[in-house]
Amino acid sequence: MPLSPEELKKLKPDKTVDARGVSCPGPLLAAKRAITEVPIDGILEVLSSDPGTARDLPKWAEKVGHEFLGVIEEPGYWRIFVRRKK
Amino acid sequence: MVLVVFSGTPDRLLGMSVLVSGAVALDMEVDIYLMLWGTYAFLKKNLEKNTELSEHKELATQLSEGLKNAGLKPWYEILKEAKELGTVRIHVCGAAAKAWNASLDDIFLADDIVGATEIIDAAKNAKIALFI
Repeated sequence: MPLSPEELKKLKPDKTVDARGVSCPGPLLAAKRAITEVPIDGILEVLSSDPGTARDLPKWAEKVGHEFLGVIEEPGYWRIFVRRKK
Repeated sequence: MVLVVFSGTPDRLLGMSVLVSGAVALDMEVDIYLMLWGTYAFLKKNLEKNTELSEHKELATQLSEGLKNAGLKPWYEILKEAKELGTVRIHVCGAAAKAWNASLDDIFLADDIVGATEIIDAAKNAKIALFI
């Protein structure tokens, strides 16, 4: 169950990747690369201006065994939070 | 996932690279089999100068600008990044390599040269097999 925007704003990500200005599949590959730099149970935040990424990263997290925590929509971009589980 | 890449135009190869990236992100192994025009497009000397689209050639300039504005890299840079991040093997059809008088070193990111039987066998055994 994704967290609410209020709960997400309280999180302290272990790593934030700024993939704004890059289209799919750039943010996805950035997330795959960055998740390895986050400790197990740590949190990765991905910033993306690509509309598809907010749908893509939850699916990616589910398929590869991480936990999708939720999305905050900001003006012109999205903040997507994933917890590394393996 | 197996991709049999016969086509060699950058629009189709961009589609290929996006699919490869998605598969790599999902930890899938990818085998790309380059056939005639795919091999031609992967020749290192052709990467940047191969710009003619397969469809709607009159939109080439508009598409180029649109892709640039969208922050999308050329197909070969996306593919290179995907190969760095996951398991992507690039095989070249022996007949195609011979047709272009190319050795393995002449072909971008290529791993080996194979025959038709191996291509069919790989496609038969893959969960996903696509022809581009």
